[in-house]
Amino acid sequence: MTRLEKPAGDRPATLDPITVEVIGSALSSIVDETGEALVRASYSTNIKERRDCSTALFDREGRTLCQAEHIPIHLGSFIEFVPKVLELHDIDGMQPGDVFIGNDAYMGGGTHLPDIVLAEPIFVDGALAAWTVNLAHHSDFADRGHEHIYQEGLRIPPIRLYRAGKLQKDVQDLVLLNCQVPRERLSDLRAQMAANRVGVQRFQGLCAKHGVGTVLAAGDELLDYAERKMRAGIAQLPDGTYSFEDVFDGIDIDEPMPLKVTVKIEGETMDLDFDAPPQVRAGINMTMTALLATVYYIVKSVVDPTILPNSGLSRPLTVSAPKGSILNCAHPAPVNGRVQTCQRVADLVLGALAKAVPDRAMACTNSACTVAVFAGTRESGPEKGNLWVYLETIGGGGGARRGADGLDGIHVHATNTSNLPVEALELEYPLVLTRYELVDGSAGEGTWRGGMGLRRVYRATEDCRVSVDIARTESRSWGLLGGGEGGGSHFTATNDSFKRGDGLMKAGDVLEVVSPGGGGYGPLPVELAAADSTSGDRATAMASLAGEVAIVLANGRQLRCRADLPEAELARLIRAVEAA
Amino acid sequence: MGKWRVGVDSGGTFTDVCMFDETEGRVKIWKVSSTPDDPSRGIAQGVEEGMRVHGGATDAPLKEIGYFGHGTTVATNALIQHRGAKVGLITTDGFRDLLEIGRQKRPSLYDIFADKPLTLVPRHLRFGVPERLLHTGEVELPLDEAAVRGAAEAMKAEGVEAVAICFLYAFINAAHEKRAKEIVAEILPEAFLCTSHEIAPEFREFERLSTATVNAYLGPLMHRYIHRLSLRLDELGLKSAPHLTQSNGGVASFEAAADAPVRTVLSGPSTGVVAAEALGNQAGFPDIITFDMGGTSSDVALMTGGATSQANEAVVHGYPIKAPMLDIHTVGAGGGSIARIDTGGFLKVGPQSAGADPGPVCYGKGNAEPTVTDANIALQVLNPTHILGGRMEVHRDLAMEAIGKMADGLGMGVMETAQGIISVVTANMARAIRVISVQRGYDPRDYVLMAFGGAGPLHAVRLAQELDMTRVLVPRTPGTLCAMGLLLTDLRASFPVTRLTPLVAESIPAIQTALDEVVAKAGAWFEAEGISETARRVILTIDVRYEGQNYELSVPVGPGAFDLDSLAQLIAGFEAEHERLYGFTAEGEKINAVTFRAEALGLVEKAQLPERPLGDAAASAAVIGAREIWFPETGAFTESPIYDREKLLPGMEFAGPAVVEQMDTTTLVPPGVAARVDAFENLILDLA
Repeated sequence: MTRLEKPAGDRPATLDPITVEVIGSALSSIVDETGEALVRASYSTNIKERRDCSTALFDREGRTLCQAEHIPIHLGSFIEFVPKVLELHDIDGMQPGDVFIGNDAYMGGGTHLPDIVLAEPIFVDGALAAWTVNLAHHSDFADRGHEHIYQEGLRIPPIRLYRAGKLQKDVQDLVLLNCQVPRERLSDLRAQMAANRVGVQRFQGLCAKHGVGTVLAAGDELLDYAERKMRAGIAQLPDGTYSFEDVFDGIDIDEPMPLKVTVKIEGETMDLDFDAPPQVRAGINMTMTALLATVYYIVKSVVDPTILPNSGLSRPLTVSAPKGSILNCAHPAPVNGRVQTCQRVADLVLGALAKAVPDRAMACTNSACTVAVFAGTRESGPEKGNLWVYLETIGGGGGARRGADGLDGIHVHATNTSNLPVEALELEYPLVLTRYELVDGSAGEGTWRGGMGLRRVYRATEDCRVSVDIARTESRSWGLLGGGEGGGSHFTATNDSFKRGDGLMKAGDVLEVVSPGGGGYGPLPVELAAADSTSGDRATAMASLAGEVAIVLANGRQLRCRADLPEAELARLIRAVEAA
Repeated sequence: MGKWRVGVDSGGTFTDVCMFDETEGRVKIWKVSSTPDDPSRGIAQGVEEGMRVHGGATDAPLKEIGYFGHGTTVATNALIQHRGAKVGLITTDGFRDLLEIGRQKRPSLYDIFADKPLTLVPRHLRFGVPERLLHTGEVELPLDEAAVRGAAEAMKAEGVEAVAICFLYAFINAAHEKRAKEIVAEILPEAFLCTSHEIAPEFREFERLSTATVNAYLGPLMHRYIHRLSLRLDELGLKSAPHLTQSNGGVASFEAAADAPVRTVLSGPSTGVVAAEALGNQAGFPDIITFDMGGTSSDVALMTGGATSQANEAVVHGYPIKAPMLDIHTVGAGGGSIARIDTGGFLKVGPQSAGADPGPVCYGKGNAEPTVTDANIALQVLNPTHILGGRMEVHRDLAMEAIGKMADGLGMGVMETAQGIISVVTANMARAIRVISVQRGYDPRDYVLMAFGGAGPLHAVRLAQELDMTRVLVPRTPGTLCAMGLLLTDLRASFPVTRLTPLVAESIPAIQTALDEVVAKAGAWFEAEGISETARRVILTIDVRYEGQNYELSVPVGPGAFDLDSLAQLIAGFEAEHERLYGFTAEGEKINAVTFRAEALGLVEKAQLPERPLGDAAASAAVIGAREIWFPETGAFTESPIYDREKLLPGMEFAGPAVVEQMDTTTLVPPGVAARVDAFENLILDLA
């Protein structure tokens, strides 16, 4: 990596913690503001409604100063992008208004090709002081192969899209020609540019107020601060070695693949050593940066969720996984669906940490990122003849926690995107949504039940191709301390063309996708199931109790029976149990 | 009509009654303790006492009141404390869980113990009924009336008090919702019913559903409250029709407010902002950022060109609500906010608050964790022995001890640490102001900071410095600005209609039709509220976006027929706003209108605050003492004069370091800041 001179500007010898806190607050404002600018100016449903994008500030050395609270997996792309730019380009040749674009998993620090990063150096007093970086998941590269990365879309190394503020049109033309919906891509790239412009202005403003030296010194301090908090948090966990095993199963592979993590906690440090099978010719492989982003996310969540999301937090952590395995893949492994694996890995680490601190962990979440991608050619309207691509991700159950049921129908772990309103979906795409609901019986039973999975049912109004990516098809999300397993995932289609998750929908065809539920926490105590309607809702959520209620009788005994039992029959049963 | 105009702001602790004598142009304030079990009791008592003491009233004490305005936290508190009605929901089959799923995001990215807000309707009271409209409004599946009937019967058996009805695309075609409402009304004649097309006829089903549900949840409670309050006011002889403030800063009749309680959830903070708007305009400052700081939180809002920014949607206490409201942003930073050193060794302030009990360390009631107030006591910015106009004794030694411990942990001096607490809480509040200003494309340096609430004037200059703002305004009565606001506001209602329309010449008739539709709705409202012809104002705006975008920008349109010129102006206005906010326009992209809005104003005669001549008396006449105050500018205690706000007269000028004390607040004037009193008795601080 390029050696960097320390930037111009007087750096104070020491900085008091108050000034650092004040500047940290301002940096958080900046990444929030750039994120808001990106969402509001964007065009594609994936950004404007589903907010599948992230923004961050980096220091000169390419370390994360501050990441907006959007999508944890995007940190994976961020970690390596600026270092790659610095490795491939001469820093002396950089000028204000240069903008680097990139997405590649092997040459650009990316984690999958649709995540396109735009990074712009921020100059203060003529010297490069920091970077404003944002990532947008471009909902494109649809209906592609996933046997190696060359099938998955256009690979873009970190190259200039703008040079000194001037668009490199030949680069843009090359990118757009390789996209199925170029108009959306162009518009979202414009929004990404607008966001970076905000980042540059605000950071320069901050430097004008406090002095660039002070701001950069505060940046260093903030990294140290995150490190200290991470160390302090780990120190509170009991020392020891904790292992956990699960499998990865999904629609793109034939056999469940064993995954294992061994977490060693020693004083203020934590070592996570993964074991996994060799990489496969299916898009579920994770790059090392995706693994790191996932580990940082889940460790921070359990250790101390208030730690600033900057690269200081990773210093007390060591992470290893076999090179060339599905958790640390090598060129040319395909990576498009890596988020499925990320989710499983997050739960894997959670399982190991639960052995150390069961009160602070939760049962297994739905462990998946259920995806449906629709693509077709417009058959009518002003866009007639153009290609369209619509991607959505479907939440599932959260894991049950000590003291609280798991959350129903939410996005977990590495992702956190919104749904698209039905009224927006049907306006923009030739699809009708006929059901969107929680799945009865999908919650793992327990003292606290798991979260419920979701069901989404679509009807096509024009012909289109569909790609469904689901996981937890064979295995189930585990419960904790005696809690039950969550429900699994599946899809059903009226069109019989489907191979694995890929198939065709003719106008009128229906597709149902069901996401998994979360695991329960603690054993299901019989006395918890009282006979009122609210616990009826509880019972409906859990598979083992679906359609049942339990009634505590006057003599303290308990009766379990079908919820829809006629009253006379119920009275007879109660008399019988009371008499017994 | 009577000569008194009365505003009553009923808060958690006190009920403030603000009385304006129209013949003499004088404002009187009367304060009584609130009665949280039934706020109407405290209100009636406060108004009655106030009118007897200041209005010389005897029998029928309220009969001399010509205008009665009321701001309430009844709806907000019921929503926060989950004390609303037992609600049932009827919605499109397949979508009954949408209320719980929301936008499917989790409540916190990293905190695995965070929970979603309580779903206001449990699953067994949510009924999906077969029916379906398409996005064109066309009926694909007719309403299954038997299913509606069945759902209503089931809800009746469960003892449901209110029913929300929300179907997909009801904002385009309301026929199914209307019919379902008729059926439910037959079976549940006593229940409060709310359909989504009536309360929020706009695009995006979850937010519309949430709004209808919150409205139903609050409806029965608000009906009962307004009924009780009306009876009490009647008994006391009130002759004029009473009004209630809504979240948009305007007032509505009691009847309208009872039917749409969801529009009053920000009734409380909005009245303060309305007062700030009126005072700012009067004092010649049309561009203002308001800063209302209390014990546990601070509210900020932005006003440009004399009008406060409005939002058409917000998440209130966890629930998305589509209703016109002032764009008020709240942050958990107040005088009672607790300071702590976290595990990384940094100083954090709030959002935990010591509240009123045990309160700050200096109250001596057992709290040992220093608060923002303790820092101000330590610095002697606040009176180190007595606060609240001398009514409350404080213990500076306890505050010093607590901050001293913290200083040891940080390796800093005690006074530097006390000032550090102020700096950190200031940074938190600056972040809130950046949200409503820079994040919306406005530069705070172009604005005056208007500070009110018990703690606003104490922190205003520091906050202004953090944001590079150069002027602060402290109104004459910063502690009772909310009640004052009730005397300065108009009747206001908003009528939206969503019609996706391309902005091309061929659409002019469709645009005209949509505008006519909202204008007609506004007209009907004027009639229903009995607003005279001369007092009617309608402001038209259209929410516009590039085709394919999903966030709209509101662009005003003039009155009169909509023609080619109006279209060109609309497009130009949109492009200018887009350029301002995002720094670009997308040439060649199609532009669509989404929602058409009529903002209807029924002008009420407002209290005219008197303007007083600027005198040339020296400010030294208002000095009542001096104390040593620690300033970071000097890094030491500096002898600083204390001014009595009561004695500060228009035209007086002085310079910092100084403090200004009055019963309801203290204003800090640091070194280098120039202060003067304007003709409306506002204190103007210039930072320069």
